[in-house]
Amino acid sequence: MIESLPSTKQQPKGPEANNEVTAKVKSFELKKNDKYYAWLFLGPSILLLTVFVFFPMLRTLYLSLFLTDTFGNPTVFIGLKNYTTLLKSASYIASLKATGTYVISVSVFTIIFGLLLAALANQKLRGISFFRNIFTATMGVSVSVSAVFWLFMFNPSLGILNKVVVAFGFHPINWLTTPGWAMTAVIATTVWMHLGFTFLLFFGALQAVPKSLYDAASVSGATSRYQFWHITLPMISPTMFFVAVITLISGFKSFGLIDLMTGGGPTNATNLLVYRVYKDAFMNGNYAQASTEAIILTIIIAIITFVQFKLLAKRVNY
Amino acid sequence: MKKLSQLFKRYWQLFSAAAVILVIGLGVFGYSKSQVHAASGRTRVVFWHEMKGPGQKKLVTFINEFNKSQSKYEVVPQFQGGYNDVIQKIMNTHGTDASPAIFQSMDISTSQMYHSGFTVPMQKFIDKENYDISKIASVARGVATRNNTLLAMPFNTSQTTLYYNAGLLKKYKITPPPVNPTYSDITRVSKQLYDRSNHKVKGISVEAYSWLFEQFLSNANEEFANKNDGHSGISTKVNFTGPTAIKSMTWVQDRVKYGDFMNFGSHKNEMAAFLSNKLGIYMQTSADMSVLAKGLGKNLGVTYYPRPDGVKANGISVGGASLWISNDKSEAVQQGAWEFTKFLINPKNQARWEKATGYLAINKDSANEPILKQSYEKLPMLKVPSDQLKSAKANYTNSGIFVDGVVAARSLVQNAMQQIYAGKDVYKSLKAAEDSYNKVLESNNLANGWTKK
Repeated sequence: MIESLPSTKQQPKGPEANNEVTAKVKSFELKKNDKYYAWLFLGPSILLLTVFVFFPMLRTLYLSLFLTDTFGNPTVFIGLKNYTTLLKSASYIASLKATGTYVISVSVFTIIFGLLLAALANQKLRGISFFRNIFTATMGVSVSVSAVFWLFMFNPSLGILNKVVVAFGFHPINWLTTPGWAMTAVIATTVWMHLGFTFLLFFGALQAVPKSLYDAASVSGATSRYQFWHITLPMISPTMFFVAVITLISGFKSFGLIDLMTGGGPTNATNLLVYRVYKDAFMNGNYAQASTEAIILTIIIAIITFVQFKLLAKRVNY
Repeated sequence: MKKLSQLFKRYWQLFSAAAVILVIGLGVFGYSKSQVHAASGRTRVVFWHEMKGPGQKKLVTFINEFNKSQSKYEVVPQFQGGYNDVIQKIMNTHGTDASPAIFQSMDISTSQMYHSGFTVPMQKFIDKENYDISKIASVARGVATRNNTLLAMPFNTSQTTLYYNAGLLKKYKITPPPVNPTYSDITRVSKQLYDRSNHKVKGISVEAYSWLFEQFLSNANEEFANKNDGHSGISTKVNFTGPTAIKSMTWVQDRVKYGDFMNFGSHKNEMAAFLSNKLGIYMQTSADMSVLAKGLGKNLGVTYYPRPDGVKANGISVGGASLWISNDKSEAVQQGAWEFTKFLINPKNQARWEKATGYLAINKDSANEPILKQSYEKLPMLKVPSDQLKSAKANYTNSGIFVDGVVAARSLVQNAMQQIYAGKDVYKSLKAAEDSYNKVLESNNLANGWTKK
């Protein structure tokens, strides 16, 4: 606000501005203080946010305190009972655990593999730019497309993955119908999807580390492992923090892949919190329960983001 | 010219605001106009459907033919995705310009559509012009009937059917299952196939899909929900732990334990395995018929849905979907929707529909149409599902489930099935689903004002 106000006020004073208008604005300035302008400029966005964000949020909160009928109208007030039943239900607890597993695995593996690829691509080798392009390729693939071709690969009788498994002498795996494997499959696909963008971020960060630091380290006899832990990692820590935050949040929001690959199954093993909200609202028509789940999810994400900023920000070497 | 540009400079905000309002206004006006009358001056009848693949192709052909056959109405098809989505879409768009004049909605949404009060019963049009409804198969009508009033017109009607790969059975010298088989008949075939192929071919697959579970109950005359599956009142309890429920699920679990069973995860995977000779038996909608007949030809085997040993087959419900006419459109539009409905269910079109899709012709006269006669002669297997439909006498347990929110019950049953396939206790898994759904039912009945606290 502070930065933007003076420039907007100066605008009418430009050479093309009409004298009358300038005079009006000036008299304005004498009468009113900056508060008027604040409301004037914030007004439209506040209005839009109220209609599309704040109202739905409050409405969700309101719905979560009721039972809703076939049309989604709140009819019977039941207080916090939706919350207590939900938190007591075994399947919801299972969803919470599944979401935890999913989000943490996705973030960790995305960071590890993204960094690995970036480190590889950071070498000066002939033809490396080809690999740099290949590694970013997943950025151009949409969720639905990647879900479809991973589904082909996971197909229990025709998929390539089971051909490999059988070639190594193991029993074919029911990738998407065994709870543990389904989670693994979904995590692998998500990591693969995130990899392109993460690679790009890490690669950029690695390129930005001053070469003089490595030269100095080499001169003083530091091993390359020592260089990695004590130069590279601290220097790219802001990027690492950024990647951790965005993969964690996008993990919580993962919907398309789940919908296309497992539909939340088998035995709710991949029924993540977001997917559950969708299912309860738009398939089961239970808006009250969906609202309750949405509120809980909001609280969880808020807490995690807060903790992340408090804890991780301290360790980041800017 | 100069003056004009000065004027514009001074009042450009006004001009642009006026322009925006004009554009939006014209757009809204044009849009609301287009809802009623198409460019040709015909009455526009918007039709929401959920047909994919061969069904969608054929449906579009029918619509084009209907539009050409008369000049009063124009049916405009709009694909809406899955059966589950469309229920919520109807609930949320009724009374707006976005809602359809006629829509296709699945068997288990009947109760919800009935209670919504958003539709005109088909009976109204039938009575008005004394349409001979007895030509439509009674079991098919049963699913969309309340108190002897036909609420919706069954359209794409299917039943669960048992498919077997007759080619594989011949190769391994296995006697095919009989018509109207019991669980043990199927077990024999499945085991022999698995053993004699040295475990290369899986014997059987039963998708973890609640529809199949419901038909196990139907075929043994067992209630899914009390009050006669909701047909004679508001159901307050469900029953997933009756003798047939336990028997059927134990049967499947025994197959899992023996190894001749494989869970393919989806209907599509199941079908792919079946067509590539990696699976011997599976149970799914009769609508698979057209694809399977094309893929396997004379090697395709079809028989009735299985029944528990020692139990007389009660017959199974029809699945698929019915056509509903919305009551938020003008009389003229509703009449157009009815004319279109009649067109779709006439003997000839129902015969063509069965031939193209494998959905069962619901018009009794369709069997006399040359197109069906010829294809039955060529591949007698094609007639089996149709015979199965006719062999059943309609009663409460084989006329679908008249309960709101069966979608939610299905996902609970499916979850239980998946647990059972993964080796968990049959009774405990089903009981957990039953308890969960009873709670849903209780709060749903309360929220809709059907029961008091």
